[in-house]
Amino acid sequence: MTEVNNRPEQEAQDDVIVISDLNKWYGDFHVLKDINLTVKKGERIVICGPSGSGKSTMIRCINRLEEFQRGSLVVDGIEMIDDVKNIEAIRRDVGMVFQHFNLFPHLTILENLTLGPIWVQKKPKDEAEAIAMKYLERVKIANQASKYPGQLSGGQQQRVAIARSLCMSPQIMLFDEPTSALDPEMVKEVLDVMIELAEEGMTMLCVTHEMGFAKKVADRVIFMDGGEIVEQNTPDTFFANPETDRLQLFLSQILEH
Amino acid sequence: MSSSSHHTTRVFEPKPSQPAPVTAAGPIAWLRNNLFAGPLNSITTLVIVAFFLWAIPPLLDWLLWSADFSGTTQQDCTSSGACWVFIQAWSQQLFYGSFPDTEIWRINLTLVLLALVLSSPYWLPHHLRNRLDLALLVIFPFVAIAILDGRILGLEYVSTDFWGGFSLNLLLASASIILGMPLGFLWALGRRSNMPMARSISVILIEFFRGVPVLALFFMGSVMLPLFFPEGTNVDKLLRVWIVLTLFMAGYMAEVYRGGFQAIPNGQYEASAALGLSYWQTTLLVILPQVIKVSMPNILATSIMLFKNTTFLLIIGIFEVLSTAQTALTNSNWLGGYATEAYLFVGVVYWICCFGMSRVAANIEKKLDTSHQS
Repeated sequence: MTEVNNRPEQEAQDDVIVISDLNKWYGDFHVLKDINLTVKKGERIVICGPSGSGKSTMIRCINRLEEFQRGSLVVDGIEMIDDVKNIEAIRRDVGMVFQHFNLFPHLTILENLTLGPIWVQKKPKDEAEAIAMKYLERVKIANQASKYPGQLSGGQQQRVAIARSLCMSPQIMLFDEPTSALDPEMVKEVLDVMIELAEEGMTMLCVTHEMGFAKKVADRVIFMDGGEIVEQNTPDTFFANPETDRLQLFLSQILEH
Repeated sequence: MSSSSHHTTRVFEPKPSQPAPVTAAGPIAWLRNNLFAGPLNSITTLVIVAFFLWAIPPLLDWLLWSADFSGTTQQDCTSSGACWVFIQAWSQQLFYGSFPDTEIWRINLTLVLLALVLSSPYWLPHHLRNRLDLALLVIFPFVAIAILDGRILGLEYVSTDFWGGFSLNLLLASASIILGMPLGFLWALGRRSNMPMARSISVILIEFFRGVPVLALFFMGSVMLPLFFPEGTNVDKLLRVWIVLTLFMAGYMAEVYRGGFQAIPNGQYEASAALGLSYWQTTLLVILPQVIKVSMPNILATSIMLFKNTTFLLIIGIFEVLSTAQTALTNSNWLGGYATEAYLFVGVVYWICCFGMSRVAANIEKKLDTSHQS
């Protein structure tokens, strides 16, 4: 777990993600408009907004699952440019958890977890398996290690997906609606894992509509609409005193039912 | 738990499961449901049974009861039934072609090796499996050529003019399938590629080898291809045919894989990329195994098609099993019309092999199915 940091000047600065004037188009459609966002090390950020507001697209830019056309993005001191080496370096620092888990169905749970450490970090197989078992213990699913993803429930699969990301010892974790595809009774087990992770000081960006989670762990809540960051604030202020009418409307829609 | 509540908590007890009703079980119920479910259904059943009663006894009589099994020449076929003596007399030719008697063990050895290579996933120790399987497969055709040709290994040289019979069909088909599958995968990748050059070359190759009938390809291979070779070089006819069959297989397999690729959700690529795996790692470790799994039924269908297409080689004068059978039919010692026996025999041998292939493929499919094992 001893990450050697050979970038002292960025370390001092303490900002792990710096997004400046980021713009993205899908064809003619302007999805992200002048996004500016700085994330400090250890900060927990929750991003919410109506569907189509660009929140997923924004966090997917951070590990280059989406390209952007204008602006700049610096992750852990590495500038995101169109270069395979840079992209791979950033992806090694950033873990991601998806709405639909995206586990590899042809591999066992253990193999899902060791794939990255063995092939990307070039760890020996037994060391990779030891790490994998450690994280499976942590998400309380070690007894399922030899099963295939298709044999687990949605909640279990999502916990495996979190463990799979953690095996790469990322500096930053991105969560893209991690509980949206789950049956209601499985949401809690996944949120519990995420809360634990937040309490350990992981830098997290989380797109979610779990407002309870936002109130409990977020340092900052961001509201996006129409491809812009409309409002950001501490959870207390965010929920109690929304500044814009757009956020007031949004909150009234998601909270009053 | 909370003792302060006014009303007592009702304990939920699930009802026990009960066995299914028996009205739809048992042989009588099966007969009634499947064979005599109504007047029309009953009549159809009776007509079919009558047809069988009328057709099967004479068929069995011809095939077995009145057939000749023992003997060596046409004169031993005296009865009214099938003359299996004909097949027996020609069996070596039908299976091994004109391969010299003393060297036939080399064909047998090659076939045993083929069986070992194809079954290697079942007997290789687990830790060697992933590393060796593919290597064994890709090496096999070249080892087979070395054994059959003999020169490299210091054995007696047997020219490809003497290779023939059903063993040639088997070896040619497996060698083409084995090399056509990875080649087709490369073409399929090329077709999906963002690089315009790789994409257009792949599309041209795939569409050419899929769009031109295999017979025309054989003629091109045997007549046109030599024109492109430098003067004086003589590329073996069988080698040219093998190349043509491999490319033909690759063209079809590329399209089979394309269907497989479309079944893989984008999330698989994203998850792999997010872990930091490179393009080739993602392709080989994450995508390829899933593509093969989805494509298994079509891979089998294409392989069987190619296997059966090897009989077309009779047209360009290669003595595979069907042209050997035709030679036997026109042999002056065996004139008298044993075409039924000959074609039935070839048909049955082919059917057995193809049926075997589908059983193996079904087994592999089951092995690959990780969706709901308990």
